[in-house]
This record gives sequence, structure tokens and C-alpha cells, in this order.
Amino acid sequence: MVDRTSALDKNYEIVKKINDEKVNLIFNRNINLQITQVAAWPDTVSKVELIISKYLKILSLPRSNFAEDNDSFAIMRVEPLKWWILGSDIPLLSTEEGTTLDLSHSFTNIQISGPSAKLFLNRFLPLDLRDNSFPINKVASSAIHHVSVKLWLSRNGFQLFIPRGYAMSLWEIFQESATQFGYEIK
Amino acid sequence: MTAKRLKDYGKVNQDKILSFTWENKKYFGYKGDSLAASLLANNINIIGRSFKYHRPRGIMSAGVEESGALVTIGKNEYTDPNVRATSQELYEGLIASGQNAFPNVNFDLGYINNYLSRFFAAGFYYKTFMGLPPFEWGKGTKIWMIYEKLIRKAAGMGKASKMPDPDKYEHANEFCDVLIIGSGPSGIAAAVEAANNNLDVILVEQDHVIGGNLLSNSNFDFEEKKYFLQKAGIKVMTRTTAFGLYDNCVAGMIERVNDHFFLPKNNTPRQRFWTIRSKHIILSTGSLERHIAFNNNDIPGVMTVNAARHYLNRYGVLAGEKIIICTNNDSVFETSILLSKAGAKVKVFDIREKIDENTIKKLNTNNVEIEFNKAPLNIQGNKKVESIDIGIKVGNKYKKVNEEECDLVLISGGWSPVIHLLSHRGIKPKWDKENLCFLPSQSSEPITVAGSAAGIWNNDDCEASGIASGLKAANEIGIKTSDYFFPKQGGWKNPIFPLFEIKSNRSRSKSFIDFQHDVTSDDIRLAHREGFVSVEHLKRYTTLGMANDQGKMGNIIGLSIMADLLQKEISEVGTTVFRPPYTPISIGALAGRNVNKHFRPLRVTPLHDWNLENGAKMIETGLYQRPWYYPKNNEKLADAYIREASSVRKTVGLCDVTSLGKISIQGPDSTIFLNKVYSNAFAKLPINKARYGIMLRDDGLVMDDGTSWRLSENEYFMTTSTAHAAKVMLWLEELLQTRWQNLKVHVTSVSEEWAAVSIAGPKSRDTLSLCVEDPNLISNDNLPFMGLTQTKLNNGIPCRIARISFSGELAFEIYTPSDFAYNMMNILWESAKKFDGCLYGLEALGALRIEKGHVTGAELDGRVTIEDVELGKMASDKKSYIGSAMQKRGVLADKDRETLVGIFPRNKSQTFDAGTIICKKNEIKGYGIGRITSVTYSPGLGHWIGLGFIKGGYTEWKNTIVVGADPVRNKEIDLEIVSPHMFDPKGERLHG
Repeated sequence: MVDRTSALDKNYEIVKKINDEKVNLIFNRNINLQITQVAAWPDTVSKVELIISKYLKILSLPRSNFAEDNDSFAIMRVEPLKWWILGSDIPLLSTEEGTTLDLSHSFTNIQISGPSAKLFLNRFLPLDLRDNSFPINKVASSAIHHVSVKLWLSRNGFQLFIPRGYAMSLWEIFQESATQFGYEIK
Repeated sequence: MTAKRLKDYGKVNQDKILSFTWENKKYFGYKGDSLAASLLANNINIIGRSFKYHRPRGIMSAGVEESGALVTIGKNEYTDPNVRATSQELYEGLIASGQNAFPNVNFDLGYINNYLSRFFAAGFYYKTFMGLPPFEWGKGTKIWMIYEKLIRKAAGMGKASKMPDPDKYEHANEFCDVLIIGSGPSGIAAAVEAANNNLDVILVEQDHVIGGNLLSNSNFDFEEKKYFLQKAGIKVMTRTTAFGLYDNCVAGMIERVNDHFFLPKNNTPRQRFWTIRSKHIILSTGSLERHIAFNNNDIPGVMTVNAARHYLNRYGVLAGEKIIICTNNDSVFETSILLSKAGAKVKVFDIREKIDENTIKKLNTNNVEIEFNKAPLNIQGNKKVESIDIGIKVGNKYKKVNEEECDLVLISGGWSPVIHLLSHRGIKPKWDKENLCFLPSQSSEPITVAGSAAGIWNNDDCEASGIASGLKAANEIGIKTSDYFFPKQGGWKNPIFPLFEIKSNRSRSKSFIDFQHDVTSDDIRLAHREGFVSVEHLKRYTTLGMANDQGKMGNIIGLSIMADLLQKEISEVGTTVFRPPYTPISIGALAGRNVNKHFRPLRVTPLHDWNLENGAKMIETGLYQRPWYYPKNNEKLADAYIREASSVRKTVGLCDVTSLGKISIQGPDSTIFLNKVYSNAFAKLPINKARYGIMLRDDGLVMDDGTSWRLSENEYFMTTSTAHAAKVMLWLEELLQTRWQNLKVHVTSVSEEWAAVSIAGPKSRDTLSLCVEDPNLISNDNLPFMGLTQTKLNNGIPCRIARISFSGELAFEIYTPSDFAYNMMNILWESAKKFDGCLYGLEALGALRIEKGHVTGAELDGRVTIEDVELGKMASDKKSYIGSAMQKRGVLADKDRETLVGIFPRNKSQTFDAGTIICKKNEIKGYGIGRITSVTYSPGLGHWIGLGFIKGGYTEWKNTIVVGADPVRNKEIDLEIVSPHMFDPKGERLHG
């Protein structure tokens, strides 16, 4: 099958732009994003949690607005009845148990890391990203310029999920803003 | 005024010399200077000209309350008008000039207005509306058209650049436990106390250094203090003004990141708009010293007492040699001694009868003369202070008793706490008779006022109130339980005496209250005589406290005069509500990076790049960029879309229709859900079939239309119109969460997941056959009209294909996951080219659907019923669905409602426009009998056609000529009303 094309292809250049002799931000896009949404019914939440945890071989699923991850997959609870599983296949559920839906092409995933990542993200996001309020594996829904986005602080940095159609527009603004910090695109 | 720089005074770096340009001439100042301090040190007295009377104005303060020294900074596109010279940091290469003057501030022809001032009194502008007496008296305002031009030209102070703003701005967010606004003695103490209690503290200061009023103390080291605060973990934000307070402890701030450089540095923006969210706010915003209204109190060389102290101890500038201080309170004595010690001859006139002996002794020891029962009557001088007339009160008036030669007059009429931010929260201040100022009332929100902003005058008490505020915050946030005590308001040894105005004995005087707007005490009396006595009316009639002044300088004086005229207390008169911003902020900072191309977020389809590479001209539809048309050989729109629509009818065309809304509907109750949402039946839709559906609102009017595809027993794929995608998604969510919580259905927007292309025309199946792995799947038998299949393209890309037509031709819609869209389109286009196909855009799409009478957003505008658009037969009468009850109400079932029709011009060579009103012949008036919603040239019919609505519909008006009246374009045209199905009415082409 042919390769996937990213929403950022036209304007994604691997580059290092130093400001004041520093690089304080690192951008890294994920071009093979795999997201499956798993949704339970109100009376099947525990059952679905069990099915997923068994399949992913984890003890328990994350609580609302948190994620769990290892080297091969991540799972985050994005709504009370919904999880996103990243980077892994998932077991099919019966209709009585819940539903699954592929959202791999719906979002553009940009990883943002470096010493100024929080400062940079707070240029756009009204989220309290202080360590106590936004620890590793915290997940939040917010908006940038009225565009709904999701943010997850993974061990490798912040993972930003932007609806695909808006990704290029926001990416252009990101690059403009990032010049003050010094940045590298990987 | 004869100012001079003193070597051993001030906190500026006298080793670092900066050059700047004032009125095209080069001058020098020091690093750390404000522009005002440098101008003062260079003995520049006249900084600007006043608003109406063009009177010369000098520096009147040392801070944001400045009303005289408003200047223009920069040039060309970097021009920034109405900047307070007192707040502008000096930098190398700064260019500044005076404003509101021609040819310059020293000699201004506009000064003639000063002699014509009786014609420019308060409200003169409003009176010009009434016409020129006696010719137009009571008749209206013909001459207003002339006045308006003159007034508009004369109005305003500095002139902004008309070129685009070259600077960048940005937004930023920050969070903390305690936000402290103002870094004076109370702010610093509060910050330290809060930080000591392990709270996350942000201390905000509008100046470029911290300290507030401490900066006027000779021994205060702002750098050492900042280092100490930062070491304590406090985030100190200088050059940042809190301009507004909002709900839930949210503060709006502007950080002037680069206003102290000639050009922005390190790719940083010029200004940054911060939104800071905290758990507790401490307002240590200080207080402002007031002037006193008396004749000629605006002559350059008059300033507040505390300003002179700041210029001395902060900037090392002694503002005058022979200084007269006029006061009604104790706050001036320390300053008078400091000025005397610095080498000035200082004399104090105090309106009070007496003060304590110790102070008098101290003044005398330091060579400061003081006289009591005396007040300033009049300043002598034109462009600078030459002397001052001093008077004593005799009865209700003042009598001149002596004239004092001087070069600087310092005034202190009391102090006004800065309560603007609290006012933004709707908290009304209360008048304090003892301290003669408005004090902040208690807030029910977690906001505490500290220091002189709370009416506490001496330094130690301010610090104590800061400590108490920090403790209060810690208590309220819940990390500490301890007692805290706020010091009492006031703190002077001798009580303040109420002195707001020295009423002149002259019939007309220039006794200014609001220097920025040239509002005099006579203007207040005029407003009173003319009935504008409420403070809000007074403000608007006289302009007192308007614009960037926001009442900082003159409000209290104006209110006191009005109270006197009304024979009321100031507390009864009240004060106006202060609104954000506290000081002016750039519109650019509010916009941030959301300008030009990024004014709105730009939404593109996954085929955007492909479309551009293939020559598409784009058009904005909502936030989406969609292909409008694909010109060939420099074609214009009118030619291109006709060619494209004709090609679709003849061969095949490809159109990017990704912008359609797409919603996944999953769950065992999906069918029940759709059957309740749509007006037509969905209960028996077979798997692998799609159906066109119309959903109504609760009120029975049409919400949106689209198709829903049954993918499996329990899963549907719904498409919506581009315009209503988000609205429909929200609607479905709302229904499931509020009305039908028992239904096991999940809805998820998959609009971004799938890219979609319409393949339309007689050769559409041939085109698609070359692209799919198994062409057999799309044969007429296997994929009949409204059938769907899920398969793969021959390069392995998964896809969904439905046989759906919006053009009336044999057509398919093909959907692939978005990241495969580019490659899908490559395959489709290569195939279409083999059949002489075309790419077509939104304009051709519109032409094709109008020919067929298919409705879209132009027709489904929220005012029409399903009957109005001639789709009533689709609506089920066997089930209950959203809107089914309300659509039957009388007004919606009226036979005389406007109904969808097709429209032809009687003369086929003529054109007409959308928005045209349809009227009966010879009855062209009002709303007519209908309206035209969509128009196009019809390639199929060879003339202009339209869709629209007319009362009674086609049956009522067939064979009758009506008139299309377009009063906006001054056009009238005879029209024929036809069936909306104008092209291929039997739908034969649909089947290929």
C-alpha cells in the first residue's frame, strides 16, 4: 500500500533554528499515528476495562484525563466512556460491550519537548502546565485559536493532537512563535 | 522651569549615555531614564499641546497618570501616538515628538483656539447638531456636514500610522496561587509573605523596575530587592500592566517586551498579552496624587509633589530651582526637605490653619519656609511658570495676597487610591470623608487590597498591610490558619483639609480639572446648568475622565465641584464605573498572532495541496479553503465553471467534497436513533445502502440535510452539509445526553478522518472502474443508485464508495482515510483524464445542483419547512421524530407560505442576482411575494436560471410573469416561475 501523507508535509522541514545560541524546543511529528477509540456503555465500563487491560497486559486502565504508556502503546481516557489506544491493535468488542473506531487519520500528532516546551505551549493553551497540576501522563482537552486539541504529557514530551484540517495552520503559527525560543524540527 | 541633573542622586546609570531625538533634534539621557526624565533634564518644558485649546503642556507627573506629556514615539509604520513620556523608557535611538501642534509644540497655530475657548466649552460638539443659529435654529443640521469634517480633522491627539502594523504580538497564559499587582512596599511585603507560606506567587509591575513609590526613596535598591524576591521563588514580571480583572481571579496583562528597544530583539514580539489565572489576587496598586483646580494650573512647570521627588531620587533630576509647593496634606513635607537639601529654594503654602510643631521645626531646620491659610490662585506665565499668585480665603472667595517668583509649582491636593481594577469587578468604592478619597469596598471574591490602594499612607503601615494580605491569601487558599491584622486607613499626623478648587474671581478662568481633555471647572458648572448632573452624564457631556486618562487625574475634583453645586456630599454624587483597560493597550496585542492569514484558523482538506498543484483557485467557505474553480489558459471564473459543469454533463468530473461533515454512529440503538432524528424513515434501511435524509429542529423547521450510510447492523456513516457539520454533531450529542440517555449509541465526528471526492458524469463509472481493485463491485447491478461498498483502490488504499448524486448525473462519492487522499486523487485524475474529464470546483458544483433544484445552505437558511423545499413527501407520517409535532402548527402549514421554485428570465439573454425580491407585476414594494436564493448560468439550458421561494409555489405562478426587483443594484427584470427541477426533470441521467 502507498505511504501516508501528513498534513504538515508541505511545510515540515528538518531544521535547527538557534536563538541566542540556544535550542529550547524540539518538534517531532508522528507520521504513522494509530489511534483507536474504544467506547463502552454506561453499564459495561468495568467489563470493557477488563477486556482492554487483559489485551494490553496492564493492571488497570488510566482514570479520566490520564494516560498509561509503555514502549509500544499508550492508552488515555479521553471521555468518561471513551479511551484512545495509540500504537496498538485492540480486541474487537461485541455491540453489547461497546464500540471501536479508527481515528488514525483524524489528528496530526506533534511531539513538543525541550526546556521551553511549557512556556511555548502556554503561548497558546490556557492549561495549567505546572509540574503539580500537569504531571507525566496527564491528558487534557483544550483549544488553540478555538480549534479543539488534546494534550498528553508523555515521558518523551508533550504530545499534541490537532484535528488534521487545522494542523498546517497551527503549525505555521507554532514555527513563528518558536523562533523566540530557538527550535529544532526532527 | 530650570531643571538640572544631579551627579549624586538617582538610580539611573549615569555612565551609560543614550541618545534620542526629540522634535528632530538630538539629545542625551541615561540608561534607566524615562523619556520625561530625559526631557526634563534637557530643560524641555513644552512637551505637547492640549486637546481643544492647544495650550502648551509640560510634564505633570512621573507615572501612568500623566495627562500633559503625551507624545508620539517612532516614525512611519512604527509610529505610536499618545504615549506617556513619563512611562516610556529611554533607549538608544528613540525618536519622539510632540503632538496636536502645527508647525511644532513651541509655536502652534492652533493656539488661536485658546482665545476662542468660549465656543469650545463642554458639549459644543453636541450643540453643533442643532444647526447654526439663527439660520438653522431648531431646524436641524445642514451645516453639520461641514462641522463634522472640521471637527473630525481637529479631534484626537497624536496620529496613528495608516500603514500596516509591522510588529508581532502574542498571547500567553500563566497560573499561580497568588497574583500580586503592584510592587510597592505593600506588594513586595505581600509577595514575600505568600512565598514564605509556600504559595506560588507572581508579582506584576508596570514599571521596568520594581519598587513603586519606594523608587522615590534614595536608599532603595531595586536590583537587590528583585534578586531577593526571585531567590524566594517569586516570579517577578516587570513592564507588565494589569489592565483588567475578570471572573474567577483572571487578570488581563500586557507585557511590553520590546518597547524599550529600537527594534524587537531575539525574535520576541513587541508586546505579549497575558491571561493570568490565580487563586487569590492582591491589589497593591498604590495611589495617585491629585492636583488642585486653579487658574492656569496647566502651565508647563506645574506638577505633583511626589513626581518631583521621583525625578530627584529615581532619575537624579532636580526639576526646579525656585520651588513653590501648595498643599492641603502632610505628604509633601518630606519631599520639600529632600528638594531643599538637593539645592532648591523651597517654600510651602498650606491651606490648613496649622500643623504640628515638630514638622514646622523640621522644615525650618532644612531651610523650607511654610505659610498657612494660603492657596494657589493663579500661575503667571505663558509657556513656562514665571510666578504664582497666592491667596487667602475671604468669605467664599480667595483674595490675592502676594506673588511668588518661581520656576516650578508642585501641587498636592490629596491622594486617590488606584481602585480601577476592583471597579472592573463591579465593586463600588466608598467615599472616605476623613482621608478625602474613594476607598475600595469589600469584595466577595478572593481579592485583597493592600497598601495605599487601601488608603494607607505611611510606608510601615503599607508593608504591614502587605504582610496581612499575604497571610489572608494563605488562609483563604487553605494552607494556613493564622490571625492577620490590617492597619487602619490614613496615617498622617495632621488631618487633610478639603481643597479641590480655588474658585477664581474672574468670570471665565482656565482652571483645569482634566488636563488631557481640557475640561475646566467652568465646564462642570456648565454641565450642571444644562442638567447633566449624574456622574455618568457629566462624564460624557464634558469628557471628564474619558479615554486613556480614565479619571486618574481629575475625577475627584470634578465630582467635588458637582457635589458642591448640587449641595450634596461627594459620597452621594458617587463615581463613574472604571472600565478596562486601566492604561491604553495595543489592539495588536489583543489580536496576538491571529492576524492576516491566521486571523481565523485556516482549515484545509487533505487534498488542499493536490488542488493547488493542479491549478485550483480557492474560496473560503466557513473556515474551509475549498476549490472554487480550476482555470485553464487564464480563464476567468465565469468561463471556467461553465466549462467544468459542461464537462461533467458530457464526460466526467472530479470534485473535492471533503468538507462535508461526517459522523460515525455506532451502537445497537443506532437505527432507532436515526429514525428519531430524521424526518424520513430509516428503520428499514438495508445494510450497504445509503439514504438521503432531512432533519428538523424542535420548532419544525429544517436543520440540515445529508445522507446516512448503513455500514453494518449497528453502524452508520452520516454526512452533513459543510456549513452545519458542527451544529449537527452537537445536536446529536445533546439528544443522546439529555433526551435519550437510554439509547446505546455513540456518535463521533469523523470529518477529519475521511477525504471525499465526488466523481460525476456519464463516464464516472468508467473512470472509477480503472481505479478499484475489483471493478465488478461498482457495476450497476452490484452498486445501484444509493448503494455502497467498502473496497480497495488498486494501489491498496481502503475506500468506501457510494452511488450518490448531487449533480443529477451518474455519480459516486468515494471516501478514503485522509492520509491517503493525495494518492487516491492521483489515481482518480489519471483515470478521468483518459475520458477527457475535468476537475470541478464549488462554482460548477453549485451550477449543477441548481439545474437539478437541489437545495443547500442558501435555501436551508433556518426559516424553511420541509414542505417549503418541496420535500414534504419524504417526511414520514407513521412515526414521531424531532420536529414532527411542531411542523404541523398553523403558521408552518399555511398554504400561502413561500415554496421552492425554479426561476427563468423571460428574456433568456438577461441575468439576475441572488437576493432579488420577487414581486407581482406593478406591485413592486416591501418584501414582495418571494425571493431568489441561488443563481447560475445553466450550461444544460443555455441561459441564466435561479432557485427561490414564492408564495403559493410553482402551481400558483406557472405561466404568470412576475418581476425580480433588486433595489440594491437598481435592477428590475421579468421572470418566469418554473419547476425547481429544471434540468432532466425525470432524472434519467442519474442512471447513466
